[in-house]
Amino acid sequence: MPVAEEGCTETGTMRNLSDESLLAGLGSGDPDAAATFVRRFQHRVFGLTLSVLRDRGAAEEAAQESFVRAWRHASAYDPRRGTVAAWLLTIARNVSINMLPARRFDPVDPEAVLAVEAQRPPERGTEARVEDRELLREPLAQLPADQRRALVLAVFYGLTAREISELDDVPLGTVKTRIRSAMLKLRSQLRVPDER
Amino acid sequence: MNADMGCAQVRELAPELALGIAEGGERAAALRHLSGCAGCRRLVSELSSVGDELLLLAPAAEPPPGFESRVLGRLADAARPRGIQRPRWRRWAAVAAAAVLAAALGGGSVFLATAGDRRLADGYQAVLRQGEGSFFAAAPLQGPRGRAGTVFGYQGQPSWAMVTLRPTIPAERRFRVQVLTRDGRYLAAGEAVLGGDKTAWGGQLPVDLSAVHELRLLGADGRTAFAATFDAASPWD
Repeated sequence: MPVAEEGCTETGTMRNLSDESLLAGLGSGDPDAAATFVRRFQHRVFGLTLSVLRDRGAAEEAAQESFVRAWRHASAYDPRRGTVAAWLLTIARNVSINMLPARRFDPVDPEAVLAVEAQRPPERGTEARVEDRELLREPLAQLPADQRRALVLAVFYGLTAREISELDDVPLGTVKTRIRSAMLKLRSQLRVPDER
Repeated sequence: MNADMGCAQVRELAPELALGIAEGGERAAALRHLSGCAGCRRLVSELSSVGDELLLLAPAAEPPPGFESRVLGRLADAARPRGIQRPRWRRWAAVAAAAVLAAALGGGSVFLATAGDRRLADGYQAVLRQGEGSFFAAAPLQGPRGRAGTVFGYQGQPSWAMVTLRPTIPAERRFRVQVLTRDGRYLAAGEAVLGGDKTAWGGQLPVDLSAVHELRLLGADGRTAFAATFDAASPWD
């Protein structure tokens, strides 16, 4: 794949392509699509890897690896299973978790992960999705702190209920209940119909 | 102890399943239940959407200067024709593509003998376009005595699989072909007669190839005689 020059002028066509189309272009080795894809998602990917790893060097390595994996697996992306952003961030989360040293977790306040930065870098072509992205922020903020903590540790750090139980010295059943209660509350906020 | 989970137990565990943090035995038992329960599968799917939405809440951050060019450099290295770093499934895919191209082009052996990887990739994409497919994959077919053949898969409309068997079975045997999906469902994919002179079987898959975790050949006793695991068809796991 030829390397597109950083900072090169993005064509209007590329800039207007959907996330799905850009991913397809990335997967097929189109350097312009690859550059636009990286440019569109780099802030979000790096933000997530930095949130999990809290080390800029490690976060960059994880973010780079995330894009390489996205390229490798682009053809397996299934839009029925979620958005490109969610798919890519899932990859970034998994890469970051694997880079945490020996699954050791430094018990810093996990809510820092969700801290809203004063300045959120613009992401071209994804402005319409900002509203979607905020869909769960308020409901999450309204959860009891212990539920929110358990959920963040599970979602962003991939900790199992048992690991959270050991980390916080809380009974396993309590942690499971916290995760379950939080998830069901948030699910109701997404207004998905009940399966019954 | 988790052999027979019911809906109530699986629903208790559903959030952990959706977040990918359910552990060992519980997870396996729940997946077995999900294979036959559409309601529980739907609940897990909806909760997975919650997990996806939560990841989107992470704050964005400005990457270090030069990040973009370093990423593109890595992509270029990874995509270099003779690159060692190409992922295994892509190499397998190239083998599968070569087989399809050889058949499709008639004089394919000459084409392949002289083509570079770039040309092969172009041909690969052209074949995929013809079939409205998105990728090929292949996985080793493992039997009781190790490698017994290869399973090639095609992601398209429809998706299909081709099983090729080394001459390890002296006489014809009948197998039920079964697919284990990534969300834990066991689906029938037809019947195959293999052994003796019959060393290949092909058939349509009941789901997209990207949803297939394992393809199994079940013997008359219902046990898995041969199995092939597609280990990199989806990055969601």
